[in-house]
Amino acid sequence: MSVTDTLLPDTAEPGHARSPVATWAPIAIVAVLLALVPVFVGDSRTWMGLATGMLLFACYATAFNVIFGSTGQLFLCVGALAGVSGYATPILADEFGVPGVVALVVGTALSALLGGLFSWVSVRRSLGVIFTGIVTLTFSLGFHNLLLGQRELTGGETGLRIQVGGDTVLRELVPAYLVFLGLLVGYLVLYRLLQRSSFGWAFSALRDDPVAAELAGVDVARYRIWAGTIGSAMLGLAGGLWAITEGFVSPTTFAFGEVDVETLVILAFGGIGTLLGPVIGSVALTVLDELLRDAGQLRVAIFGAILVALFLGFRSGVGPAVGRLARRVLPTSLTDRFR
Amino acid sequence: MNPAVIFDGVVDGLQLGLLAVGLTLLYGLGGILNLAHGQIAVLGGITAALLLDAGWGALPAAAMAVVAATAAGLVLDQTIMRPVYRERGEDRILLSLLVTLGVGFVIDGLLVWRYPSEALTLRVGSGSVEVLGITMRVGSLYASAITIVAIGLVIGFLRATRAGRAVRSVIEDEVGAELVGVNPSAVRTLIFGLSGALAGLFAVTQSMTSPVTSSSGVSYTILALIVTVVGGLGSATGALLAGLILGIVNAISAAEIGSYITSIILLAAAALTILVRPSGLLGRTE
Repeated sequence: MSVTDTLLPDTAEPGHARSPVATWAPIAIVAVLLALVPVFVGDSRTWMGLATGMLLFACYATAFNVIFGSTGQLFLCVGALAGVSGYATPILADEFGVPGVVALVVGTALSALLGGLFSWVSVRRSLGVIFTGIVTLTFSLGFHNLLLGQRELTGGETGLRIQVGGDTVLRELVPAYLVFLGLLVGYLVLYRLLQRSSFGWAFSALRDDPVAAELAGVDVARYRIWAGTIGSAMLGLAGGLWAITEGFVSPTTFAFGEVDVETLVILAFGGIGTLLGPVIGSVALTVLDELLRDAGQLRVAIFGAILVALFLGFRSGVGPAVGRLARRVLPTSLTDRFR
Repeated sequence: MNPAVIFDGVVDGLQLGLLAVGLTLLYGLGGILNLAHGQIAVLGGITAALLLDAGWGALPAAAMAVVAATAAGLVLDQTIMRPVYRERGEDRILLSLLVTLGVGFVIDGLLVWRYPSEALTLRVGSGSVEVLGITMRVGSLYASAITIVAIGLVIGFLRATRAGRAVRSVIEDEVGAELVGVNPSAVRTLIFGLSGALAGLFAVTQSMTSPVTSSSGVSYTILALIVTVVGGLGSATGALLAGLILGIVNAISAAEIGSYITSIILLAAAALTILVRPSGLLGRTE
């Protein structure tokens, strides 16, 4: 568990010690702020598209936070797990006539099962962080190749036009945004609940002293597998919903170089293992992405440089670093709420 | 099946093995998983391509590919990897993986951005010759010959020289090596340079059979990673053997089944190795 010592900030404490206000206020404030977005730019296709994409990535990052941030399992298959449901949902609905909701549930369950399986295998074979990383990375790349290869089903490189949800309000700008806002708020609440549950206790105990925690009867394996399963279900649900609201998916939608790298940048920026890290990170990334829109391939290089700088310079995220600074300046009662 | 397919696999497999040796040595002794390895190779390759465009001869340009890749390895070791070395054990591996992933994107992004259509193609003699009844391209023969010599030199270096023994002692036991007067940091620098040189050489030999484009870095890294994993992280001979086997599998499967299934087979080989025998083909079981 030593990995979490260096990469996880001290702020990744379980939420049990906080008052109800301090526990839930940050989520409420984020929800209100983000709900204001459509009020201002609701009729701009460009802005709403960007904002919805931002919410999707905040969802991915929160899910990855459950898996990696809480339990130190390096899943390098965020995009692929989202893509399993992102492809299964529309294929089930369009090709096999399954009702949309059922297809989404099945798709999500598939992602959850796969993620749970990875966790189970890595726990059973006691794979270190590196081997978990490599196995999940090979899954990512293999999945990508499968999408390219199974043309009849996935449309290969050109992608898949999706009928399910086509004539509903979900394809409109603001409703799609609100769906993902609701999803993100739900994920943040879930993350907080996990932090406050025995789950959060177990992992803060593990971080403090793995041996003592084991002796006290903390069942590491069980918690890891649960974290893998829950986090993957979150990824699957987000991916499936994205397919329905966008009406189009392609291998790029879920590619390692797009999803996983950006999720890492988001978390490295916002702070791994923090409640609001994913939100802060994805806002920052979206702004940056927009600034770099015309940079073409240079964008890849800049993202790489940011990844290096963040992991070397701000090990616990820029968000918490700013938080620490704020705490020095502002009264603690105010800043503590945002942890 | 056409025996030439197997032969192509051997040629490619030897080169893959050599590429993977750099990766595996670095992992074995430094706890560094360099995910920018393939991109460093391409950096060397594109340097040579630009020099060829500028009118250099093939031999000096190829030498500069090796020099450029070596320099990239050394620079990485002396700058960005410094803070990584301060960590120990799993932390170091995790941090090295994330940081070199970023470095890989930097090199890849810069090369594709600046030289989108640049590629290294070394034409060493044209046509083909018959070897043991199999028709082979001259380029393949040169590539194999160079790779075999390089493999011999690396093995000789590790087995017979003082520095090579220091490298192996650090792989065996970093603290123990330090106690008997080996400086792990100097050994790491040496291997980062060597690893870069091998990557540069890989780009040179690859370009004799197929072009090394500015965007091929990621796929080289992935191939090297697969070979390294199958051979056993840290085992140089394992990497060479795995390279040979996977090269042959790759060639046969690509010819008989198709390329997208082939990449899935290779990836599955790596995943299965980790699950069934994490120490790899020749790695020690702990």
